Amino acid sequence: MTAPYLRMHAISKHFPGVAALKRADLEAYRGEAMALMGANGAGKSTLMHVLGGIVSKDEGEIIVDGRQRDFHSPIESLEEGVGFVYQELNSLPSMTIAENIFADGFPQRYGRIDFQACEGKTREILQRLGSQLNPRATVEALNTGDRQLIEIARALRRNPKILIFDEPTSSLSQRERQRLFDVIAGLKRDGVAIIYITHFVDEIFAVCERVTVMRNGKTVFKGQIDQVTSQEIVHEMMGTVENESRLAPDQKKQSHIVLEIDQLSRADELQSISLSLREGEIVGIWGLLGSGRTELIRAMIGLDPIDHGRLRWRGQDGTLVEIAPESLHALSGIVTEDRRGEGVFLPLSTSENIILPNIRAIANRVGIVDRGKQKKIARDMIRRLGIKVTSEDQTVATLSGGNQQKVVFGRSLASSPRLFLLDEPTRGLDVGAKTEILKLILDLAAAGAAIVLVSSELEELMRICDRYLVMSRGRIVAELPGAASKRDLLAAISTRRATPEARQ
Amino acid sequence: MTVYQTEAPIPELRSRLIRPLISFALCIVVVAILALYAPSFFKLNNIINILVQTSTLAVMAVGMAIVMIGGGIDLSLPFNAALSAVLGAMYMRTTGDPAGGLAVMIITAIAIGAFNGIAVGYFRMIPFVVTLAMMTVANGAAVWLTNSISIADIPDAFVDPFFRRYLGIPLSVYIAVVVSLFAILLSSITVYGRWLYAVGINSKAARVARIPDRKVIALSYVIAGLMAGIAAIMLTGRLASASANLASPTIVLDVVSACVVGGISVYGGSGKIHGAIFGALFMTLLNNALNAAEVTIYVNQIVRGAIIVAFVAFDRFAARGIAR
Repeated sequence: MTAPYLRMHAISKHFPGVAALKRADLEAYRGEAMALMGANGAGKSTLMHVLGGIVSKDEGEIIVDGRQRDFHSPIESLEEGVGFVYQELNSLPSMTIAENIFADGFPQRYGRIDFQACEGKTREILQRLGSQLNPRATVEALNTGDRQLIEIARALRRNPKILIFDEPTSSLSQRERQRLFDVIAGLKRDGVAIIYITHFVDEIFAVCERVTVMRNGKTVFKGQIDQVTSQEIVHEMMGTVENESRLAPDQKKQSHIVLEIDQLSRADELQSISLSLREGEIVGIWGLLGSGRTELIRAMIGLDPIDHGRLRWRGQDGTLVEIAPESLHALSGIVTEDRRGEGVFLPLSTSENIILPNIRAIANRVGIVDRGKQKKIARDMIRRLGIKVTSEDQTVATLSGGNQQKVVFGRSLASSPRLFLLDEPTRGLDVGAKTEILKLILDLAAAGAAIVLVSSELEELMRICDRYLVMSRGRIVAELPGAASKRDLLAAISTRRATPEARQ
Repeated sequence: MTVYQTEAPIPELRSRLIRPLISFALCIVVVAILALYAPSFFKLNNIINILVQTSTLAVMAVGMAIVMIGGGIDLSLPFNAALSAVLGAMYMRTTGDPAGGLAVMIITAIAIGAFNGIAVGYFRMIPFVVTLAMMTVANGAAVWLTNSISIADIPDAFVDPFFRRYLGIPLSVYIAVVVSLFAILLSSITVYGRWLYAVGINSKAARVARIPDRKVIALSYVIAGLMAGIAAIMLTGRLASASANLASPTIVLDVVSACVVGGISVYGGSGKIHGAIFGALFMTLLNNALNAAEVTIYVNQIVRGAIIVAFVAFDRFAARGIAR
């Protein structure tokens, strides 16, 4: 076997309070694509940032082509032949393709930009990618797939020896994806070493020769793709789901249906989602990142507009009545995945945060807030949820993550909603705080609320869910009972499907 | 999945202390200049004069502060006041009806504010562009309507109250005090006030928390319009005339400076109304100090411009770390 072109060995990186990388390893070979897999926060990005010279490593060595390297800046890394194709499209829409590709270094002649050389070279690169696009076309006129191609062309301009694709297919259609795979195959023939980061397990079998799986900052698996199954990979990504006992037995609920969703669709994100929720039931939405789980919750409550679909809500008289997503928003308790960005108001006090969504209920006719009631509700909530604060006036910015999340829960509880939509409610919390939040969810369900729980952590879902809906590429692809085993659940998301469209 | 934990407490204490300290130091400098160059400045009559000068600026600063807390800016505010004053004065010239003139001023100003509010709140247009355009429109309309000639035939019933003193203090000061109290209460104890801060801190989170963000933002511009209308009445009454010259870019800068110096963040969601009122007082004192020191108008402008940049810079350092 030939020696790897790139070898990253025992790389460690500490950020204040967190060990992002713990002796992580990675190897990439010329002419091969290596899949880098891992759940959110596994350390993939940090490792790639080390390679890209964006983050400096604390320990470990990087060996490129047999020589030890140390990248102190993105430029050093670039000069060594490391190229990135980023997940977000960073193009400058109103400029031409050629201008985009040369934006970080125009060829010049007599102090002027040599557009002829620009366009000539652009044409060359595009041909290498099998594209006939006109270098003078503006990027805003292109579709997503072509824009992605421009991103690749941009990276290719410097003839990279190592090319990193960071979730390149997350916004591509099936056909665009296939073209991308062809492009990658071409790059492999040219001897480029490719590192391919993705959350889609099925893809790596189509493009990659090797796979590296990371978890919690460590490399947990390295191997050749033809010697593993997709299930094994997902298994490594998720880790051994420690068979922590369920916090409550799962129950097949026969209670009233609270909400019915019929054929909900939104652009490319959600395809005809139908589901129903019952009182007191905890439904886990299980799927990898990008499967549409967050999008589903956002669409249900009108934070993103929907194209098709109807919601029906059980009214006072017990019948199901059609309801607009915006109205459902007012009736449900919500925890979004981005706690700091969309959850708490950091500069405000704990009591102000708790009262905010229901502030109208404690104001008099001219709109003056009753501070006494605010204080009382906040104190009740602090006691009920066990939020650790010095007083209800403490600024939320100074609370720990777990306590901030409890504040977010507290906001919803004051109006006792009958439906909770929880998107990664335990993200970033320590084990103790996680369990507390899970127990809280159980209490809410026991009190009769229907609960939709999204989590990337299977272990967590398995501790409290009564039922699972499995999502993949914007669809619900399976429904499993609460008693489903870990093997069943992993199998449900790792089923390889060459064309998801074929299922219909 | 533990990369996100341990959110460190934000070092807000430092920025909380720095700004008042700097404001205080600046005040001392200004007062020292005044004591040095204009000892007569501290006579009672002159102090009352300063309060009158401050009152219109303070009313406009209150309106601006409310918009800024919600995360926007209203550059058209003084020009709105000028146009409203002109329209009200023209109405009174024709009809001689002071109450009607007052109503015309308020209604015009609120209408312009509502236009800004709908554009920014509901159509999500950029506040800077919308209100800058509105500033030009209002100014153009005022100049066009008056041919740049000031309208002086204001009924006595409108003007007299502004020239009288009540318990030794002119009406303008009372108006400013009432407006300030109203705005302080609105921002601190009402539902609207809480919503305004929440939207200014993070409009995305505000939507998730079921706050009617569009309405909240639109209303902030309407309130700014109301303040422009009140300022129009005060200006017309005090000067016994109205003209397009009541507003100028310098006044816009003064109003924004008053807010920024007073601790209203240009990034929205922080600052207190009373700060903006002290800011207005500070800007008036500064102006007087610079005049007393016989600084030319150009240096005067340089100093005032520099102060606003300095305070925005503090603001930036304070905002760093706190999520947007």
